[in-house]
Amino acid sequence: MLRAERLTLVYPGGVRALDDLTVEVPHGTVGLVGANGAGKTTLLRLALGQLPPSAGTIEVAGIPVATDPVGVRARLGYMPEHECLPLDVSAADLVATFGELAGLPPRAARQRASEVLDLVGLDEERFRPVAGFSTGMRQRTKLAQALVADPEVVLLDEPTAGLDPMGRAEMLALVGRLAGFGVSVLLATHLLDDVQRSCDHVLMLDGGRLRHAGATEALLDRTGSVRVEVDRDAAELAAALARRGCEASALDDAVLDVVVASDDVLDAVRDAVDDLGLALHALSSRRTSLDELFVDAP
Amino acid sequence: MTAAGAVYDRGYRPYDGPRGGRGAARIALWRLSVRRALGLRRSWRQKVLPWGLLVIATIPAIVNVGVAYLTRDTPARDFSFITYRGYVGVSTALLLFVAVAAPDVVCPDRRHRVLTLVFARPLDGRDYVLAKVGAIATIVFGFAFLPHVVLFLGQMLVATEGALAYLTDHLDVLWRVPLAVALLTIYFASAGVAVAATTARRVVGGVAILALFLVATIVAGPLVAVAGGSSAWALLDLPALPLHLRDLVFLGQVDPDGPLGGVRAGGAGAIAAYVLVVTVSLGFLLLRYRGAGGE
Repeated sequence: MLRAERLTLVYPGGVRALDDLTVEVPHGTVGLVGANGAGKTTLLRLALGQLPPSAGTIEVAGIPVATDPVGVRARLGYMPEHECLPLDVSAADLVATFGELAGLPPRAARQRASEVLDLVGLDEERFRPVAGFSTGMRQRTKLAQALVADPEVVLLDEPTAGLDPMGRAEMLALVGRLAGFGVSVLLATHLLDDVQRSCDHVLMLDGGRLRHAGATEALLDRTGSVRVEVDRDAAELAAALARRGCEASALDDAVLDVVVASDDVLDAVRDAVDDLGLALHALSSRRTSLDELFVDAP
Repeated sequence: MTAAGAVYDRGYRPYDGPRGGRGAARIALWRLSVRRALGLRRSWRQKVLPWGLLVIATIPAIVNVGVAYLTRDTPARDFSFITYRGYVGVSTALLLFVAVAAPDVVCPDRRHRVLTLVFARPLDGRDYVLAKVGAIATIVFGFAFLPHVVLFLGQMLVATEGALAYLTDHLDVLWRVPLAVALLTIYFASAGVAVAATTARRVVGGVAILALFLVATIVAGPLVAVAGGSSAWALLDLPALPLHLRDLVFLGQVDPDGPLGGVRAGGAGAIAAYVLVVTVSLGFLLLRYRGAGGE
């Protein structure tokens, strides 16, 4: 979907928004996560050709952005984070307008506008002026204009901002399905849970640098530890495991995490529980969250 | 009604129809801007000014033709209260339309940050400037030229010497009028859109356009008067500048009785000033929207 090679962007004033970023983003639904200022929106704008990189190259859908920014944009849909909708037009006119600006014939643009507004749940409100829309409805209008021309790749910047929990869940479900329709998604967000719920790949940026990149499942399996739940004395069990050469830490009186350095560790857990006369309630492979990965990684 | 906040996933249909690319996007932006400026698909209030101006601009032509028809068998049959050259001057009133329409087609895009979405499409800053100036120019040209068509056809039909004779006697009008109107159109459209692009507020843009032209006239007037009624200071009179070029088109020289009449190389000066205004306006617009689309 996107390939960056030593991509760097330094804003006037010296702020280094992206720093030597090299990454290949596969097709599918990919989360671009990072704190505010991590460089997410900058990367999207570079992908759109709206900013020239200070160094390095970026390709989208196999097209070098530097040599053909207009050609790249013909194959992209973009949903910005900020307010960007003209307020004195109806949602139907607005979405059709951006369909025409993507090169669709007027009649096809209106037909597509109707379809995508139906898709995002604005079918009955489509003739109302955008000025009267709630924040959630405006988010959905922004998504509709991004999809109206059936792009190969859609860049979504914080698409769940302003949505209530139900709207957010439904929006993420919809985003998660777009790859199945042949539309690759790059979802920029600071809400790691959004990525964990809807994306099959993750790019994690921090201070303009790449911190992690890979399949979501693979990243979440990186902990290599098990969570052990006993009836009592978790601290005593952790100490017993330490004496057997295992790395364990008690989280509370009944729960501890144990690093599985080898298959022998699980046997050691079983034996230590038995030696101490504890009741083993649960032993499960512990998966980290993206939050933990983001906070803990070097 | 759908429940507020709900997103209904009703499937997605890929689009496999024709795509026009950049050229189609340019034309679409121009067409949508024309539609907006004319108030089409908008409330009746937005339609009043453009269509009202068109009617007002056409009235002199209709009256002239009507008078010519009523007096065609009388000694006053050759009376004509408006000439083609003079009628181009009447089109200066379309500056009022430019002051309203030019801010309307560019200011909301900046105010509501719509440019982000526009430049996420296969368009760049040059396309945007071309489409916006082109849209205003198209309407101004239409509104300035259409009354001439009414006047010409009407005069031709009521001419006592016959339509064909009138046509052959006035063949020069067929190129002089469109050329003069085009010069006026390019001038007002580029300058108007450039001034409007300095602000995100429509009202401010409209007032700025009128103020610029009004102040220019007010400043030039006394300077020319002090110089005895004919002076190069007349080149500062921005609304009159395209009319000097109109005179070059119709008369082959600037109006001898006008404020540039006694100025040496007044015609060349008028052309230079005209080119300067149009170049500065378009240059400013290209700079204003440069980089937005990655060019």
